[in-house]
Amino acid sequence: MSVRVAQLVPIVTGLLLAVGTAAADTGDVRNGKLVYERWCIGCHGVAGNGQGVSAQYMSPKPRDYTEGTFKWRTTPSGSLPLDSDLEHTLLNGLYGTYMPSWRALDDRQRGDVIAYIKTFAPRFATEKPQQPITIPPDPGYSDASVARGAAVYQKYNCSQCHGASGKGDGPSAHDLKDDWGNDIVPYDLTKGHVKCGDTPTDIYRVFMTGLSGTPMPTFADSMNPPDAWDLVHFIESLSPNYPKSR
Amino acid sequence: MNNGTSAGRCGQRPWWLCAGLAVAAIAGSLAARPASAYEVISVTNGGTIEGVVTLSGPRPAAAVITTTKNRDYCGDTIPDPTYSVNAAGDLANVLVYLKGITKGKAGPSEPLSLVNEHCMFSPRVQGAMVGGQIKISSDDPILHNTHPQNAETNATIYNIALPFKGFSVTKPLPANPELIKVKCDAHEWMHAWIMELDHPYYATTDAAGHFTIKDVPPGSYTLAVWHEAAGEKSEPVVVTAAKTTTTKITLAAK
Repeated sequence: MSVRVAQLVPIVTGLLLAVGTAAADTGDVRNGKLVYERWCIGCHGVAGNGQGVSAQYMSPKPRDYTEGTFKWRTTPSGSLPLDSDLEHTLLNGLYGTYMPSWRALDDRQRGDVIAYIKTFAPRFATEKPQQPITIPPDPGYSDASVARGAAVYQKYNCSQCHGASGKGDGPSAHDLKDDWGNDIVPYDLTKGHVKCGDTPTDIYRVFMTGLSGTPMPTFADSMNPPDAWDLVHFIESLSPNYPKSR
Repeated sequence: MNNGTSAGRCGQRPWWLCAGLAVAAIAGSLAARPASAYEVISVTNGGTIEGVVTLSGPRPAAAVITTTKNRDYCGDTIPDPTYSVNAAGDLANVLVYLKGITKGKAGPSEPLSLVNEHCMFSPRVQGAMVGGQIKISSDDPILHNTHPQNAETNATIYNIALPFKGFSVTKPLPANPELIKVKCDAHEWMHAWIMELDHPYYATTDAAGHFTIKDVPPGSYTLAVWHEAAGEKSEPVVVTAAKTTTTKITLAAK
C-alpha cells in the first residue's frame, strides 16, 4: 500500500502542477513542522518571517514567508510560486548565500516542509499560483546568438542596474531596496554562477518572471522568446566558467 | 488511482479530516473576500458631491527632487509634487472617496492609466475600482520599472520592466481593495499611489484642489480624503436627489 501510494504521489503531483494548481496538500504539514523546526527555524524564524536567531548575521536576509513573495519561480511576476519552484530552491540551494542545498532531506521531507512553509502566508489558502511561463526549447548557444544577445542587453537597458559590462555597477545599482527595506545589489553577471541555478532555463526564468520582492522586474511583456534566448547566451558568455558550464 | 489521489490530496489524514479541511478552506476563502459586496444599480436621481481640499497652516516651501541618475535625460532637479498647492492653499493630488457605500453606479470600463513621463509617474494619485485594469506605459527613452506594492506591507503586487519609449502593457489590479504604492526602483524618487476601492465613488483633486463625485444615490455617507503626506480625514456628508452638496475640507501639512 505505502509503496503504491509513494509511486503515485509524484504522478498526482505532476498532474496538479500541470493544471497550475498549488499542490498544496501533497505534503504533511505536521511532519513539515518537525522538519522546519529541525533545519530551517534558525534562519527563517518561528513565525516564518525570516527573523530567526541567525538572520541578523546574514546578507542577503533569509526569506520572509509571510507575504508569499518568492524570488525564484516559474510563475509570472507577483504570483505565488509552484511547489516545484520551492523544491527547486530546496534542491539546489542559493549560490553565494547562506541557503544550502537540502538534497540531504528525502523527497517526502521536502514535500512536507514545503507544505508547512506555505502555512506562514495566508495568500496560499485563498489564492492559486498563476500558470507558469512557457519556456520554449533552447535554440542553442552560438557566437552569433551571443552577439545578438549583447544587442538585446543594450536595447533593454539591462545596464541601468547591471552595468555596461555586467558587473552589477549600473547607474541605478547603488540605492536599491527590497520589499523589506534591506539594501540589495544587482547581480554581478561576471561572477560565474546564478543564485538559483546555472542552466540556460534557470537564467531565462530570472528575467522573464522577475524576482518578486526585489527591484528586478519581469521582461516577459516586452521581450520575445528568441531575444530572450539570445540574452541568455550573452549572459552565459559573461561567466568565467563558460564554456565549461555547458 | 483513487488511493493515489487521496494520498496526493490528503497525505496520511483520515478522509473525514480531509473533508473537514476542504470545508475549512472554502470557508476561509469566502472569509477573505471583501466584507461588503458592492451592488451595481441604475442611479437615475443621483446627487453630486463637489468641493475643495485646502491645506491649513503655513504653506510648505516649494521643494525639489534632486535626481541621482540619468541626469542627461531627467535633469538635475524635478519639482517635488508632494504638496502641490496653489496661491489660495488648495491642495492637488488628494484622493476623495466615500466610505461604506454598498450600491450605486457601475465602475469605469476603461483601464486606469499610469504613464512614466519625464522620470515621474503621471498621475501621482488616482482611485480605482476592484476588478479593473491598469495600462502602464513609458514615454521615456530610458529603462523604468513599474513596481506596485501594498502600501501597508510593501508586498510586491508585480514588477514590470518598461525598457524603452512607447512600450505599454495592461495588467489587472489586485483582487482585493488596497492602497497601492507604486515605485520605480531604477529611479528611486518616482512614486505614485492608487487607492483601490470596492466601489467607483472617488475623485482626485485637481490643481485648484477641486473634486467632483457624481451619480451618488441619495443618502448619508462618510466622505474621506487621503493625501500621501498630510494623511487621512473624514466627515459626514448628506446627498440629496439631483442636488449638489458642496463641501470644503482642510488638511494640515505634516
